[in-house]
Amino acid sequence: MTQEPRGGQNLVGDTVLELVDVTKQYPGNPPVRAVDRVSLHVSEGELLAIVGPSGSGKSTLMNLIGTLDRPDAGRLSIEGVDTASMSDAALAGLRARRIGFVFQQFHLMENLSAVANVATGLLYQGTLGKVRRKRATETCRRVGLGHRLHHTAAQLSGGERQRVAIARAIVSDPAIVLADEPTGNLDSRTSNEIVALLRQLNDEGSTILVITHDRDLAASFPRRIALNDGLVADDDSRPLLDSGADRS
Amino acid sequence: MMLRRPRRQWRSRLRPIDAVASGASGLRGRKGRTLLTAVGIAIGIASMIGVLGISASSKADLIAEIDQLGTNLLQVQGGTTIFGEGASLQEEAPAMVRRITPVTSAAAISKLDTDVQRNEFTDERNGLDVLAVEIHLIDTLEGQLAHGRFLDRATSQLPTVVLGSVAADRLGLTDLTGGPTVQIAGRTFAVIGILDPLPLNPDIDRSALIGTPAAIEFLDAEIHPTAILLRAEPDHVEAVRAVLPRTVNPADPNEVAVSRPSDALEARARVDENLRNLLVGLGAVALVVGGVGIANVMIISVLERRGEIGLRRALGATRTHIASQFVLESALLAAIGGLFGAVMGAMVTYGYATRQGWRIDLPAEALGAGIGAALVFGALAGLYPAVRAARLDPADAVRPRG
Ligand SMILES: Nc1ncnc2c1ncn2[C@@H]1O[C@H](COP(=O)(O)OP(=O)(O)OP(=O)(O)O)[C@@H](O)[C@H]1O
Ligand SMILES: [Mg+2]
Repeated sequence: MTQEPRGGQNLVGDTVLELVDVTKQYPGNPPVRAVDRVSLHVSEGELLAIVGPSGSGKSTLMNLIGTLDRPDAGRLSIEGVDTASMSDAALAGLRARRIGFVFQQFHLMENLSAVANVATGLLYQGTLGKVRRKRATETCRRVGLGHRLHHTAAQLSGGERQRVAIARAIVSDPAIVLADEPTGNLDSRTSNEIVALLRQLNDEGSTILVITHDRDLAASFPRRIALNDGLVADDDSRPLLDSGADRS
Repeated sequence: MMLRRPRRQWRSRLRPIDAVASGASGLRGRKGRTLLTAVGIAIGIASMIGVLGISASSKADLIAEIDQLGTNLLQVQGGTTIFGEGASLQEEAPAMVRRITPVTSAAAISKLDTDVQRNEFTDERNGLDVLAVEIHLIDTLEGQLAHGRFLDRATSQLPTVVLGSVAADRLGLTDLTGGPTVQIAGRTFAVIGILDPLPLNPDIDRSALIGTPAAIEFLDAEIHPTAILLRAEPDHVEAVRAVLPRTVNPADPNEVAVSRPSDALEARARVDENLRNLLVGLGAVALVVGGVGIANVMIISVLERRGEIGLRRALGATRTHIASQFVLESALLAAIGGLFGAVMGAMVTYGYATRQGWRIDLPAEALGAGIGAALVFGALAGLYPAVRAARLDPADAVRPRG
């Protein structure tokens, strides 16, 4: 890659994401406060995990950060831009260019090839088809899918499918990649490979936020935010000294 | 810390070709369903194009026939008196008609109060008329003989008869072998000719024609012309038509009825038009039913593809992009049906017209309009499902189900 490798924690860049008392409440009896006054600051180049038990509000938080949902209260800004005042179409534009998503259930188009799936990551930027395919091919190689470029999604293994999903999320070079349980459907060995890939991409400069219920998995990340009943229970950054030793 | 990156509004954008490709992608993954759904539209379009094509071909044929027969043949009749009786024309009427300058030929016809039978032993009502005619009637009709000859100066004074095509058929005569005869008012008449069918004069098809002198001599008939057939110069048909009543009956022009036999054929073309509109209407109903079928399938498709819709929203699709994808998918689905339908309709037209011996007239606009109509119907059918897809809450759509 031409990109200069950058350390996850070592180089703290601009503010990518800022949450101030973000709250989301689902109607019901009693109403559920799925996300409760969450404040969070993420800088460029960070790799962090949001960890919490099932029902703690992780997915709700990720949808809020990804602008798929709007907070009921609080302020959420991405790259310094407050999202509250943005129209639905403007938020879509923000997602098209600045946010990458990785879902637990992959959400691939089964009859499309790996490259074509990755290329959809550029579809709503209005990029030319030829350019999309070229960049998608490069990105596939970057995530270790060079030998599976033209297999359809349906023909790929679980780990390969998740690599396609990750490639799709990073192909547009977004400000932040949001991964909801990226290893939730994978066995432990494949999970480790995916975590290694995320760390590699972080080393190459991507800002990545991973959501998981798995404490052991979270432990391997430089920064962990514990969520409980919608509340931030703990925001723990490992000392800078440790960060290098953890890489293998 | 200062912000290095300038604040800017990011815009979501989908190229038109990619919008169409997105619409097509939903169909490619569901080929069987796509084809089955397209069938409804195909049937609607095929029946509309078939009906239009067949009626256009039949009309083209009819118009060609009318052109060939000419529209300058007029018929004058006594009409009806105020007492409702059939009035005959005055003796001198034929001569007066011939005196009108643009009249190129005219022939008087007198319907005799008798009938014609195959032989003396039969006495059936066969609906055939006996007409005393002038010898140049054949020129006025521009008629052709299937067999034998028409009456001439000599034979119109003898007990000879020329039969119309239907009359010959009803009397059991197919040709003149063996010198056939018929009975008119108890007298034997030799059949010397059989006419070809006369599309403009079906009443003459149903008649036995004898010379006026023969009618007076052998049947003791009193000759009162009941009708005059005439040809006018094509450019003056309307003018002739206007002066005929006053020429024929200066005292009572209202009692004179002038008609143009070719009008009846043109009326037939118009009747076909009504039938055609009815059938096209039925085709349109099939199209609507096909459209409803598409709408149904698209709604199911939206429910099934929540995940895909959520993903596309996450990838940056706006509500409009999602809606346009489903409208395009639906329109494409219908266009496939429309294309099949147009081909089927063209084949039906070709086959039918060929079998009827018609010239084929399949307007290209009809084919284009058929496919266009399918596109429009498909887009309309896709509108409601598309709006539902666009309204899906993206956060809800990406959430795993169950
Ligand atoms: N659309 C909704 N309507 C009502 N309640 C909801 C809705 N979505 C989530 N919730 C509730 O909000 C809470 C947080 O849900 P969320 O999906 O964010 O949890 P999670 O941490 O992602 O859990 P998991 O690990 O099981 O995915 C839960 O109690 C859930 O029942
Ligand atoms: Mg979740």
